Amino acid sequence: MKVSLFVTCLVDLFKTNVGKATVELLEHLGCEVDFPESQICCGQPSYNSGYVEETKDAMKHMIKTFEHSEYVVAPSGSCAFMFKEYPHIFKDDPIWEPKARELADKTYELTQFIVEVLGVEDVGAKMEGKATYHTSCHMTRLLGVKEAPIKLLRNVKGLEFTPLPGAHLCCGFGGTFSVKMGPISEQMVDEKVSNVESTGADYLISADCGCLMNIGGRMERQGKPIRVMHIAEVLNHRG
Amino acid sequence: MTGMIQNRTSFLKNIAEKLGRNPITKGVHRPSYKHTPQYEVLKTATRDELVSVLASQCSNIHVQLMETTADHLAEQVKAAVRSYGGGPVSVWKDERYAEYGLTDLVEKEWPHEQTLVHVWNDDLGEENIRLSEKANVSIVFSDITLAESGTVVLFTGKNKGRSMTLLPKHFIALIPQSTLVPRMTQAAQIIREKIKKGEAIPSCIQFITGPSNSADIELSTVYGVHGPVKATYIVISDR
Amino acid sequence: MSIKIGVGDFKERVHEELNNEFMRGAVRGAQERLRIKRLDEAEQLGNWEEWRSLGEEIRQHVLNHLDYYLYELSENVAKRGGHVFFARTSEEASQYVKEVVQKKKAKKVVKSKSMVTEEINLNSYLEEAGCEVIETDLGEYILQVDEDHPSHIVAPALHKNKNQIREVFKEKLHYSNTEKPEEITAFVRKHLRNEFLTADVGITGCNFAIAETGSITLVTNEGNADLVMSIPKTHIAVMGMERIVPTFEEMEVLVSLLCRSAVGHKLTSYVTAITGPREEGEADGPEEFHLVIVDNGRSDILGTEFQPVLQCIRCAACINVCPVYRHIGGHSYGSIYPGPIGAVLSPLLGGYEEYKELPYASSLCGACTEACPVKIPLHELLLKHRQVIVEREGKAPFSEKIMMKAFGLGASSDMLYGLGSRAAHSALKPFTKNARISKGPGPLKAWTKIREFPAPEKERFRDWFKNREGGKQS
Repeated sequence: MKVSLFVTCLVDLFKTNVGKATVELLEHLGCEVDFPESQICCGQPSYNSGYVEETKDAMKHMIKTFEHSEYVVAPSGSCAFMFKEYPHIFKDDPIWEPKARELADKTYELTQFIVEVLGVEDVGAKMEGKATYHTSCHMTRLLGVKEAPIKLLRNVKGLEFTPLPGAHLCCGFGGTFSVKMGPISEQMVDEKVSNVESTGADYLISADCGCLMNIGGRMERQGKPIRVMHIAEVLNHRG
Repeated sequence: MTGMIQNRTSFLKNIAEKLGRNPITKGVHRPSYKHTPQYEVLKTATRDELVSVLASQCSNIHVQLMETTADHLAEQVKAAVRSYGGGPVSVWKDERYAEYGLTDLVEKEWPHEQTLVHVWNDDLGEENIRLSEKANVSIVFSDITLAESGTVVLFTGKNKGRSMTLLPKHFIALIPQSTLVPRMTQAAQIIREKIKKGEAIPSCIQFITGPSNSADIELSTVYGVHGPVKATYIVISDR
Repeated sequence: MSIKIGVGDFKERVHEELNNEFMRGAVRGAQERLRIKRLDEAEQLGNWEEWRSLGEEIRQHVLNHLDYYLYELSENVAKRGGHVFFARTSEEASQYVKEVVQKKKAKKVVKSKSMVTEEINLNSYLEEAGCEVIETDLGEYILQVDEDHPSHIVAPALHKNKNQIREVFKEKLHYSNTEKPEEITAFVRKHLRNEFLTADVGITGCNFAIAETGSITLVTNEGNADLVMSIPKTHIAVMGMERIVPTFEEMEVLVSLLCRSAVGHKLTSYVTAITGPREEGEADGPEEFHLVIVDNGRSDILGTEFQPVLQCIRCAACINVCPVYRHIGGHSYGSIYPGPIGAVLSPLLGGYEEYKELPYASSLCGACTEACPVKIPLHELLLKHRQVIVEREGKAPFSEKIMMKAFGLGASSDMLYGLGSRAAHSALKPFTKNARISKGPGPLKAWTKIREFPAPEKERFRDWFKNREGGKQS
């Protein structure tokens, strides 16, 4: 199965291990992974701040990038969701709307792809430790992917999985919200950190780098020992 | 006497303009709604099952439920009033009291034992309000009873004051089993049927569910904020 | 016209409210309880998503035919002897009510809870006319005595603790009992009972007007609205023009959604449908009934991309799940409508100048959209507001506009991205220690105030992919 990786700008620049783990994991599951080089960013940072026109070129760039892909897989619920928004954004454009729809229809978040397309729930991963999982808002509520990551994590050998209290509460990232509304974001991430700590987990796992950078960055500043890991890294762990 | 309507034409013209058309004053029909889950609730429940549902709901809404037959109704009503500390009692001028064998109680027994009985009678005018204000218990028959929510529906009007059940501290609803329906859906249908037949809708229809309450102080539920503090429903099982 | 409450700007209000420990604890507790209750009731009811879709369909049908249903409503109210006044502006509405009250030579008015009457500043108009106005909803009464503003549309005094309430009652009403809610309530019951009995005019809002019968529906747990509309000789109901349904059948669907979503009850204790004044011979109920239908900016929302916000049935389910409201509370919004619904509605009714921050006070987490019983796409409307603020109102900060334009360029050009991303590692090296940035420049400054930021890696992912053995790229 040929899969084009949509690695996301955050991973490309700041969390390359997540990209590496994603590639290795997909290859381990029998996929042939390619990386359309011209990809840059889905456009969320400016689009979500209200800058539609300024973002359209970046979106068209992405549409062109993945034009020949059969499947587009991203290790990010929010970025995959952003591709799903493209057809609505271009709804009044008779040339770009069909292209956007085609891209949206073939785009998947990583765990969604593994469970729904590859039909796999046990990827043969192995990792010792106690972990809890942060359900990122865009992935669960907007993209609608709730079960896939849990199913996959529960099959990781050696991993003691404990539910996170207040899982429905946003961690306070929200892209530019985290810097535009700093004091509010701080309160939200602090409540999240407190809930994470209460689980006694060694690892906090999530499927969105934005959330991980937010919660992880806060915990690091506070000197807390909990390690944050992207679900790709966990699922790619075989030893 | 028809009431006055002011400023309607320009007001509605503005709305129509904003909706991109001319004003419409006739010919709009309610759509055939795509979803109608309200008809499924307690769809197949028998009367006994509805009584069961009502009984279990009463414990959620701070209502004491009693079941009796028409023959024993008078003594149950008497006992309920006694448990609330006795009279004065307010009742409507309503032939159902006689139909259900309460005449003796209302006209002879209570007066005999010095329990004041106020029968809401339009001829008394405003005095009715003052008398109800002084009453300790109000007792009315339910016109329609909603099992799902534990609600008594009162078609108030002539000789059946709308404020009567709110003023005293205690409220007793007499519920012939035949008045039971699953939920408000059926009550709404019954009301619309009456309208279609040309009956005038009562000037005040009250859907009363248990005693008056509020959670405005620290979300702590308190009863009898303005209306009754306690409520009893007496289900009459053979009528 | 004023939905505005409080002073200062948004950031100042947020700063103050974040320090209000009691309010934050109260809001957290309320959110937990009300959210669970709503979810429990939804599960018990079954087919909740179908119910939501039905609610949405009903509200959309009515909004698209709003003129028709208001016409039908007014005809039917008048047929029953009630008077209908259509008010385009808040001033017209308040002025009409004031004139009715003056004509009746009324000295005392009792009111049940109504957001639209707060919108139109009705109480100040009436007080100007020498009338005493008494709020009878327990929460609103507490706020009135304390001269405070609501912080939640269903539980307006949520931010107050029982000790504060006791103190205020002691000072202003000579209350001498404890802070126990039952005792405070018993006191209020007695005190307000007398007001109900001696009031000249009763004023209510309207949860749902019913076009087919010319009825208005009042939904309370306290029963205060029933007393307000049954004892005084004149009843004036004020309604937001969109609060209408075609028949009793739609009313019951929306009331079912409202009660479960707002307070986790199947029905509130009192749901009352009133049609016109009392009938000939009735001994209670008003002799005169007036319905004031208020526009106050709502028609400007019709026919625009914001029209869905008018589907709102004022249940506050969105407020009860909002992670931002959870921390900043209602007063931060500076509007009688707080939370997600407030952040969408306030800029529309109160203007962007006053409320331009509210649409940004959201992480777009979508919890509000998920909770809304009539499926208003609240977070999408917040995003639309941002687009309007940037593109139509031109109210975005200049520096941000520059940054976003640069971002747009960089994200659509391989060359620019390549330049920028390759340079990132070395450009940020001065700020980097152990692969972390703790005090970042420019846009990173706000981030690194409370969090570590990962330094850009020397080798980008794409470089790794390109260089790996047998690496495939296109």
